[in-house]
Amino acid sequence: MKAEMKEYMGMGIILIAAMAFFYFILGLAGMVSVLGIFLLFIAPMHLILDNFELSRDEKMIFSFFIGVGVFPSLAYWIGMLISFKAAIIISFVILIIAGFLIRRHLNKDMGKEHA
Amino acid sequence: MKINKRYLEAAVFIAVYLFILYLWTLPFQGNQMPYGEFDAISHWGLADFIEQTDRTFIYLPPFLDNLYGGDNQFKPHTLWYHPPFHTDLAIISAFAPGRVVPIFLTNAIFATAIIISIFFVIRNLYGFLPAVLSSLLLGFSLRDIMPYLWGQWPERFGYAFIPLALYCFYAYYTTYTKENNKPIYLYLAGILLAVQLMIHPLSFFHSLVGIFVLGIALLLKTRKLPLNWKHIGITAALFLILFAVFPYQSGNVIKSFTQDSKREHEYPSLSRLFNWAPDPKDFTGSVPESYFSFRQMHGLWTLPFLLIGILFLAIRRENRDIFLLAWLISLYLILHRDFIGKFFFLHRSLSATAHIFVPITVIGALSIPSLIKLPGNYGRFLKYGAAILAVALAFVYNFPQAQSTLEAAYASPLARLNPAQLEASEWLKGNLNENQNVSIIGPPWQIMQKADWMASFSHRTSFFFEGFLTWKTFNENREETVKYHLLNDYIVFDYSDIALLPDKGLAEELMDTLRKRNSLAIALLPDKSYNGMAELWLEFEKQNMGNHALLYNNKNIRVYKHEG
Repeated sequence: MKAEMKEYMGMGIILIAAMAFFYFILGLAGMVSVLGIFLLFIAPMHLILDNFELSRDEKMIFSFFIGVGVFPSLAYWIGMLISFKAAIIISFVILIIAGFLIRRHLNKDMGKEHA
Repeated sequence: MKINKRYLEAAVFIAVYLFILYLWTLPFQGNQMPYGEFDAISHWGLADFIEQTDRTFIYLPPFLDNLYGGDNQFKPHTLWYHPPFHTDLAIISAFAPGRVVPIFLTNAIFATAIIISIFFVIRNLYGFLPAVLSSLLLGFSLRDIMPYLWGQWPERFGYAFIPLALYCFYAYYTTYTKENNKPIYLYLAGILLAVQLMIHPLSFFHSLVGIFVLGIALLLKTRKLPLNWKHIGITAALFLILFAVFPYQSGNVIKSFTQDSKREHEYPSLSRLFNWAPDPKDFTGSVPESYFSFRQMHGLWTLPFLLIGILFLAIRRENRDIFLLAWLISLYLILHRDFIGKFFFLHRSLSATAHIFVPITVIGALSIPSLIKLPGNYGRFLKYGAAILAVALAFVYNFPQAQSTLEAAYASPLARLNPAQLEASEWLKGNLNENQNVSIIGPPWQIMQKADWMASFSHRTSFFFEGFLTWKTFNENREETVKYHLLNDYIVFDYSDIALLPDKGLAEELMDTLRKRNSLAIALLPDKSYNGMAELWLEFEKQNMGNHALLYNNKNIRVYKHEG
């Protein structure tokens, strides 16, 4: 748990540094864009990949590269039915729920193995 | 206080990456008007349209259909690329304020993602120093910077997936035993390949060839074949599920790949086997000759280190060395696919050379101490010395070119929309229906990207008219022109660039461009000046628009409704 907290703290520091940097060179739009990339493309996929046996940097890198494909695919199709902005929020929620469901499912399986 | 080595390494890499991003965002730091060639216009317009209209679509909106309606050969009038790349840009554009910076910054991060993936892969295989040096040098790669500026946006991002897909395959292959294996890496390879296909198909095929070559090389080296049908089946299923998400675009990939085109029958001579780059003459007019030159793109100083690196890897042949060599061989095969009749986008694959040349160059430089027997710590000093030398050479030879290219990109006010054109575009967007046509009479064709940028900014179809005035064909073909082009159009007369011309420097710059391109317009202009063109437009406006409704008149731009 302590290692996990440290990891999140590290990610938080990187994010704050990057946001400050982009605020300095591109203003508010730059800063918020970087926050968006992290929050929408990386964070939900990280929650999913966190359930698998991968190193910290692998989880981080693969979250971004898979997130840029999976997140917009969901948002695109949902955006055919409702407002695109609402589709972004719903896609985010779906992926967060998927992350928790996978964790619960895997924990159950591990519990069965230990029993 | 003791600092954790891992955190220190992460901090150094982030500093390097932010420095590279600072460089790559130079074109829109001072001037936040959009820029780029026709590809950039379509990529930006597509993402911006989704964000501004707050909806996604199957069939192209008219302003895009006008230019790209036939590009999807499987299902015409739908998106020619898979939607995720542009939807990504639209998502960030919806999240952050402004129409320009969020899209351009997201694209800059995507285009430099290769630096992240190279750092990740090289660090895991060779350690921190080669990884961070490779990242830094790659940030100055002109073969990456030039297509990024021209507007080949999805393709730039697609290349960043190649090392990752290869890495996942390699991690699965090299750790595989019957009792103990890590199928997650194979599953990730399948997912990454599918996402890569959605970003840009060209780089996907490159990954496939890379995996094939790496598989053969590892099979020869390790003499084991990790054939597990369950793992392969799950990977294939994951790939196919993602492949099926966008059937029209996936169908287009299959149709484009299997089609027979005219150029594909022009087979090269055998001498080309000894060249990496295709013949620049085949691409005259579309890509500058310097793009094909190793000296101008990579710098001749890298060549000895690159050759030492290849030799070092070939002699040592550890699994990780096989990884890099297989990637290099796959690039060679991809760049010579014209031998099997696949000529399409050949020059585009050349833009992936730095991604493998740079890490091998760095490994070559750092391997020198291990080739010489030295006592004590001298080998270590020499290794750091080689690293410092490589950085110094990169800053002396590669950095200035990269910086000046990025800084000077589209710096002329004639190369980007001016505030008057932006306001007029906003007006068109707010006052006209999506399917109404706009004809723009104004900027000379040498800077006709402006008309397309106006179409992109207004999301309204734009036909560009300049030629029929300067070439005096209007009077001869009046009825036809009115019937097919002007009837019921909205006609925009744009004199806003002429307003810039009291600045003689700009006028000269434009006339220089016209002269360099041997413009026909120059020969036909009454007084051979840019103002001469303006006179033609003004005369046309006076003679032909008097009876039509003037709807917009602001800052040297006028919009009329041309009624039959």
